[in-house]
Amino acid sequence: MRLKEQDHHYFINILLYVGSMLLLMEWIYPLDQVTDTGQTYAFFTYVLLCFMITSMHKLPTWLASAFKFLGLMFLVHYLFYETRFFSFEWIQSLLIDLQMNLSAIVSQNWMNLTPVFRTLLFLILLWMMSYLLYYWFVVAKRPFAFILFTFIYITVLDTFTVYDSEVAIVRVFVISLAILGLANLNRVLSREQLKLPHARTMFKWVSPIVFVILFSAVMGYAAPKLEPQWPDPVPFLQGAAENGFGNGNGSGVGVNRVGYGENDERLGGGFIMDNSTVFYATTNTSQYWKVETKDIYTGHGWVNSDNDQMISQPNGSIPDMSQYGDVVERVDISSELRFVEPGNLNKIPYLYGTENISANEVVDDLNYRFNLDNGVLESLVDHEATLLDSGYEIAGRKPDFPINSMKEVPSSSEEVPKETYLQLPESLPDRVGELAEDIIADVDDNRYDQAKAIEEYFSDEGFVYETSDVAVPSDDEDYVDQFLFDTQRGYCDNFSTAMVVMLRSLDIPARWAKGFTGGDRAYNQDVFPDAGANVYEIQNNNAHSWVEVYFDDIGWVPFEPTVGFQNQADFATGESIEDILDRNEEDYLEAPDANVPDEESNDSQSNDEETEDDEVAGTGSNFWTNLSNQMTWFNWLIVTVIVGLSIWLINSYRDQIIAHLKKQKLKRKHDADTISGSYQYILKLLAKEGYVLQEGQTLREFADDIDRFLGSREMSKLTNIYERFVYRGEDLETKHDEVYGLWNQLIQRLLSNRT
Amino acid sequence: MTQQITNHQTKINLLFDNMEKVMVGKREAIELTIVALLAQGHVLLEDVPGVGKTMLVRALARSVDLDFKRVQFTPDLLPSDVTGVSVYNQKEMNFEFRPGPIMGNIVLADEINRTSPKTQSALLESMEESHITVDGVTMELKNPFFVMATQNPIEYEGTYPLPEAQLDRFLIKLNMGYPAKQEEMMMLDRTVNEHPIDSITPVMTREELIEQQQLTQNLYVSESVKKYIVELVSNTRKNPLIELGASPRASIALMKAAQAYAFIQERDYVIPDDVKYMAPHVLSHRLLLTSEAKFEGKTPKYVLDDLIKKTMIPIDRG
Repeated sequence: MRLKEQDHHYFINILLYVGSMLLLMEWIYPLDQVTDTGQTYAFFTYVLLCFMITSMHKLPTWLASAFKFLGLMFLVHYLFYETRFFSFEWIQSLLIDLQMNLSAIVSQNWMNLTPVFRTLLFLILLWMMSYLLYYWFVVAKRPFAFILFTFIYITVLDTFTVYDSEVAIVRVFVISLAILGLANLNRVLSREQLKLPHARTMFKWVSPIVFVILFSAVMGYAAPKLEPQWPDPVPFLQGAAENGFGNGNGSGVGVNRVGYGENDERLGGGFIMDNSTVFYATTNTSQYWKVETKDIYTGHGWVNSDNDQMISQPNGSIPDMSQYGDVVERVDISSELRFVEPGNLNKIPYLYGTENISANEVVDDLNYRFNLDNGVLESLVDHEATLLDSGYEIAGRKPDFPINSMKEVPSSSEEVPKETYLQLPESLPDRVGELAEDIIADVDDNRYDQAKAIEEYFSDEGFVYETSDVAVPSDDEDYVDQFLFDTQRGYCDNFSTAMVVMLRSLDIPARWAKGFTGGDRAYNQDVFPDAGANVYEIQNNNAHSWVEVYFDDIGWVPFEPTVGFQNQADFATGESIEDILDRNEEDYLEAPDANVPDEESNDSQSNDEETEDDEVAGTGSNFWTNLSNQMTWFNWLIVTVIVGLSIWLINSYRDQIIAHLKKQKLKRKHDADTISGSYQYILKLLAKEGYVLQEGQTLREFADDIDRFLGSREMSKLTNIYERFVYRGEDLETKHDEVYGLWNQLIQRLLSNRT
Repeated sequence: MTQQITNHQTKINLLFDNMEKVMVGKREAIELTIVALLAQGHVLLEDVPGVGKTMLVRALARSVDLDFKRVQFTPDLLPSDVTGVSVYNQKEMNFEFRPGPIMGNIVLADEINRTSPKTQSALLESMEESHITVDGVTMELKNPFFVMATQNPIEYEGTYPLPEAQLDRFLIKLNMGYPAKQEEMMMLDRTVNEHPIDSITPVMTREELIEQQQLTQNLYVSESVKKYIVELVSNTRKNPLIELGASPRASIALMKAAQAYAFIQERDYVIPDDVKYMAPHVLSHRLLLTSEAKFEGKTPKYVLDDLIKKTMIPIDRG
């Protein structure tokens, strides 16, 4: 499809087309925020390319298509492949990818579509849009439908997602008004068969348009606006999206921000990163900041059992906070922490081994409360859990868990601190327990080795750490079962919950711990000016969950099943320094127990991984995952609306589409049948408009009537040629070009005359 | 072919202009007369006296430089008065043929319904056959041969109306009608010094006319147009308001008239528009309406218009 040469309004058409491109771009902007689509600039580039090629009217259609295809391939290569463009290795892998995806589509396995494929489809969609918009804006001169859809799209996104369209709506408004003005001018010009007027007349035309646009845009922007008149229809979506300290690792629908959350009843779903600081702490190593533990697994998430044993202590000395057996060696620790943006957090994070807490300021009625069951430490002011901005100082003795002693603990023992630490939901599929049995089949029969085997199972089996494309189990699915057998990708909640559940299925008492990882060293902070490098910044990104396993005579020992994370607790191997030095370096590195926490690597590693995941994710994978899982009704509604709209559009543009097809045919074929067929088609189209060739009416009389009605002369000219074909037996082939020109003008006139 | 037609078009236009000098505002009558002339048919003019019937024929004759003859039909007129008579020449001792008025190129048969059927048929038969036989001698009529017969529709007493069979021999029947006031004024103006008929000069030769007639005869008529003609004529035979429909001769006449009309439109092929335009002029005098239709006050022209409106025109080939 190309811009027509005989059209006098080439300039206006180009402007209209550019306007349509800007509107299309408005559809792409929000993708960055509401889905995890990265590198949207690639799509902008492609839109620009497609529109530029389409507007080049000298280019033959096949060549234009070839260029667009090349551009598409180049972008796919640029986004996903690292080999050289002309190497063709990547094309091979692309083809394999395509094959896989096609079979996934056939088997309706939507989850398995790869980012490459989705990106490819999206680019093809943009390609098609460049044609469709050309047709709407330049040929049919009916831009309104697309403008309306753009407004609906923008406003819906603004209402239901994180996307803030405050500026976008103004942009769309200005572009749309300009387009409507231009389209009207264009239509008037072509209906009256006028040429583009001179500069002065042009000014008369354009100035009111410009004035109306500017006036209404400025007025609209400056005028006072009403507050929302009804409560947000989907508050949980909005809340999840806007609240930085939202449900975080907890129950998520749609896109969440990472952070510490209270409610873990429904786990799953992806989140986006949030690097706001929760607190700063002075320690010399990066360590777990524990907030609480939970013990009842529901099949979808975690809740607490009821019986809470509390210890209240005004002076903050609570030795019971860390009950470890005598075999556990302890090292003195102390840390000062100060909150920056705690959000909804009203519990005090503390280190393993903490025994004493004190506030940095003197507060009346201050009381500390520790919950022995779920490990929650709170400071109460007026019996209300309150976090003091001035922060706290904690002190205690850090445990150094002895591996040798732990290995002596039998796998299942009689001694269980509480029955709930072995609780499992009845709905849990048997295969979870069977898998746990399989994992420990070849492992020594002691609790430590079995726990270790399950902890390592995830990285050994290639489970993927993933924050965005994470499934939410439906009501009849089990969260752990889905993770272990279906998706095998997820973040800390998936790994830690799965490990706890598997341990419990082996009768090993375990519970789910949550809090923060140790964070990164903060070099540029002014909270603790004198602390030097021993200050750690804990962000919402550091919100984390892990596993605690109970060992008789030792206590609760943290385990770290999440791929890409390292256990931040200390373990004593029972070997001397010499023993360690004797072992070769490789062994040392591989030994999981000889973990000397590396302050630099822990979190930066996980962050790097997350960034990578974001880039690979391609087009809105998380968005679709959520849609297919939780919002099926919404999904269906959208599909119905889209199908309905498509049918409506096709129906209302049926004549335009058929006319276009006829035009292409007439352009290609020069035979008499095609040409006379095209003439007959005009008669048909006219009949539809109510201009029926009467019995006893000659073509000439009819053509005169039509020309009078359309204010044209084309119909008579065309009829003359056709008459010579029918009544004189002349060939039409020689007249093809003339017929083509006249036919085109007539069709355009007819179709544009409709509204 | 197209080139020839274009060449002749100038002549046709001159002929129009010439005749219009005499016949103010009678473009249609002139046009139909020329059509009949080109189609080698004859014209029946039915109108009241004084509207210019004779003037039309004279203007035509003078413009084409043809031999013009006139017969005033009276009840006592004999066939030999029309065809001519052999007279004994005592000096030469033999019979000598004195040609009648029919031996001209253009013959005006004035008030043809006033004479006896015998004399009428003498004229009409010669119109059809292009030759006459007197005393056993067959003589060719002149070429071109064009008869314009007039009849007065008002006075019926003592007239012999032409039977339908005879009417069929006229290609076209036309009515002149009174001129518009404006046109009548103009006529008066032109006649102040001398009658314009005296000032007009021939614009076309006899040979040119014959050539035009031949071109007309050979003008292309497509299958679909022929189909339309046949459809139209056969519809006159089916119409319940019509007692007697048009004959196959009418089909031929309609085609010829359409050819001539296309010719003066400077076209070398016939389109349905030509047929449609000519049909009332060619067919109306060939129809006999039922007494019911007549009683309802319907005229052949009215019935024909209705019929033409209802006849489908073919718009594709074959």
